[in-house]
Amino acid sequence: MITINPLSKIICLSIILAFGFLLIVLSCAVYNNWRPLSVIGIFLVAPIPNAVFGKLDNNDFMNESTSSVPDFGKFLTGFLVLSGLALPLMLYHSLLITRNAMLMSMGGGFLVYLTIITFGTFFHEEDDEF
Amino acid sequence: MDVGTHSERLFKFNLPFKLPSSTVLRAAGVYLSGILYSVGFWFLVDASIYSKTVNASIVHVTFVDWIPGICSSLGMFVVNSIDKNRLFNDSLNGSGGGGLSSFNGGLSSTSWYARLILFFGFSLLAGGLAGSVVVLVLKFLMKDFNTYPTLGMGVANVVCNSCIMLSCIVLWISQNIEDEYSYSLVL
Repeated sequence: MITINPLSKIICLSIILAFGFLLIVLSCAVYNNWRPLSVIGIFLVAPIPNAVFGKLDNNDFMNESTSSVPDFGKFLTGFLVLSGLALPLMLYHSLLITRNAMLMSMGGGFLVYLTIITFGTFFHEEDDEF
Repeated sequence: MDVGTHSERLFKFNLPFKLPSSTVLRAAGVYLSGILYSVGFWFLVDASIYSKTVNASIVHVTFVDWIPGICSSLGMFVVNSIDKNRLFNDSLNGSGGGGLSSFNGGLSSTSWYARLILFFGFSLLAGGLAGSVVVLVLKFLMKDFNTYPTLGMGVANVVCNSCIMLSCIVLWISQNIEDEYSYSLVL
């Protein structure tokens, strides 16, 4: 198991995050068409439901109705992640953006989401160690 | 919990991977159902925006095309907001301790209401799917809009409603997996 310095982890993640933002902003700025920018919003909102509803799971598992609340968070997460991928596709299908802009915004949004998820698991591991 | 695969070998060949546990399977099912719902939703939005922007024909997506999708979503909401323990357990426990009534298969009033609402939800789902086919036939096929870019708006409607129905089924199944799991835990 390779142990990486936590500081370098954070630096790597922030570089990837910045690269993702760069891709999305480029996809808007190059073609002077700022519609794909909403992808950023969707991918920033996407991790929130899991983070909020997942915390409510810890009450006690004998109760019957607790298990459906984190389910709703997972459902929303799946919905939002695919929305972020589907929005550029839809814009391209309606000829509102070009194909390169679609690819760039999809890739950038995915990088942003991946970074946030990795960051979350990174801090989660930190909690387990202590 | 890996009984049968490791402690007692039943088959000559082991699976090269572990079967996922029921919690993982359930989480994956819930994610999958969200993804399926999203696919359906975006198909509908895509059809309506397409009809506004690059549509060369005289057919446009109006509110009529949205009604089946709304019905399906409402049905999915109704079906999944029912507490599933109310559906099955009451018939086993008997209604209020009445021995004969449970023997005859009598249901308590909550269980009966739960099944009625469940039936209502499923009929909303099926009605949404059927309604999308009706829109496809009446609005597109009967008026001879058979070429693809125009027909695609009607097909997207059917795809949307099938996706929502599939999403509901996946959510239902994955939540029932959890029920069995917690049942064995409690015992």
